[in-house]
Amino acid sequence: MSTVLSLADFDLPTRSASGWLLRWILPRLNLEPATLYGLLARRLPFQMAAPQSDIIIGAGHGDIDVFTGQNEAIILEVGKYDPKEVEGKVIKLLSCQCGVELVPDLVANGAACAMGYTDDYIWVMDSDLASTPWADKEFAGKCLMPVIDGLNALLDGKSARAALDIELESYSRNAEVEEDELVKACLEFNRANAILVGNGGASIRARPQLALPFRLIPPPPLLFPIVGA
Amino acid sequence: MASSKEEWERYQEALRRDDSAAAADAFRRYLAAKKAEGKGGSKPTIVRLHIGKGWHAVPVDQIPNGIEKNPEFYESIKRVTEGK
Repeated sequence: MSTVLSLADFDLPTRSASGWLLRWILPRLNLEPATLYGLLARRLPFQMAAPQSDIIIGAGHGDIDVFTGQNEAIILEVGKYDPKEVEGKVIKLLSCQCGVELVPDLVANGAACAMGYTDDYIWVMDSDLASTPWADKEFAGKCLMPVIDGLNALLDGKSARAALDIELESYSRNAEVEEDELVKACLEFNRANAILVGNGGASIRARPQLALPFRLIPPPPLLFPIVGA
Repeated sequence: MASSKEEWERYQEALRRDDSAAAADAFRRYLAAKKAEGKGGSKPTIVRLHIGKGWHAVPVDQIPNGIEKNPEFYESIKRVTEGK
């Protein structure tokens, strides 16, 4: 069983969100084949890869009933996917509002559990760091590192409930010491909207820890052009 | 000049009154106070992962304009920053 990692990368928010997953999650997956980055973050590659996976992780734009990939190509939409794509899987969608309808629908169609957000996922990023989004520790890292902490817990084999708790604690810890009122408001907002539906005890096969070279050396700059940079 | 924390509270009060013009003014003063305090990165931008034609990325120094001129942005930023 592999991981499906769907990473849209075409504008500032997708660059920032996917950048943090590229930096800290992708290297843990030992190049498992189903990394759908950029142009590959579309419906057909997802349809082919998802049934073989035990975990689906997505970063992209969304709405209450839809999660999208590159250039907002629809990947999962309520009532328009095969239940085999989600059956028995742990799913995490870093996207806006999917927690309202799509996340419960995924569980109703057989996902072991699914996590998302019931309102917009909002954060502050430094757009001067668009080519190296993982270097944006002053702004984006405050909101996105809690997501990484939660995903790392899942990849360590912890339960979905434990992983979400780790994400929530990480938001709280960052908010407590945050001096920038806007960043703090975003942390508290995202924390309040994070949800888990389904079996909180669900877990996946533990993946190896991030190898030392990847901890020390970031990826090369992302040179693909994006909207708004 | 008031501190950025005080200006932020005035901004939140304006949001609670649903007074977008006062909120925009208060946010401008908040940014000026932050600058005077030597805070802020090179190009902070507020972003969100919502599908469609609405806002996706707004530089923080353009937030006051967004509050004044874009009702969708105003509703969105109000939900995030209004506080309790």
